[in-house]
Amino acid sequence: KNPEFRIRKKVSPNLVQSIK
Amino acid sequence: MTVMEKNTKDKIFEEELMPQIDALYNFAYHLTYNEEDANDLVQEAYLKAYRFIASYEVGTNAKAWLFKILKNAFINNYRKKTKQPTRVDYEEVVNYHNEEDDTNYSSYSDMREEIFQGMMGDEVTNAVNSLDVSFRTVLLLCDVEGFKYEEISKILDVPIGTVRSRLHRARNMLKEHLKEYAESKGFTDKRG
Repeated sequence: KNPEFRIRKKVSPNLVQSIK
Repeated sequence: MTVMEKNTKDKIFEEELMPQIDALYNFAYHLTYNEEDANDLVQEAYLKAYRFIASYEVGTNAKAWLFKILKNAFINNYRKKTKQPTRVDYEEVVNYHNEEDDTNYSSYSDMREEIFQGMMGDEVTNAVNSLDVSFRTVLLLCDVEGFKYEEISKILDVPIGTVRSRLHRARNMLKEHLKEYAESKGFTDKRG
């Protein structure tokens, strides 16, 4: 009736392998 | 623990928790602004998640559960590290590093790196980084990761009202920081 801005790092394969 | 139980744990870990790792790493990086610290934080969070995987209900919000674990790890590490003020004058950092023995000042090297990365990063990243960690956290969780107020409230262990007020202040502070830059790129905010 009367005619809001919402602002990337990716993980390394080494970290994934280390966790696994 | 039987072999079957470990297999079950591994299956849940692989299928429900590991797919969240990019989002978790991105959050960790924007909390620490240091790739090594972010790696350590993510690794710590995943190892804790595996250890306490029995308390995770399969099919529920794995992402929110992991974010909460990471946030707690970050706070614990942050408390250990911040015996000193979090921001120091660059000259002060250089002077400390010119001392013969700098083994007692290891935390300052992180700060120097943070300052350097701040200079090299883009305007938005710098502006977000300039927010106090309590404001930065809600902004990242809501505007970058898309969590709802209620989820953020659970992740951070604060009332929903606190989430809303921090978010409101964080966005306003960010707008102030970005005003000139945003306008130069064609995004405008004329509310003053």
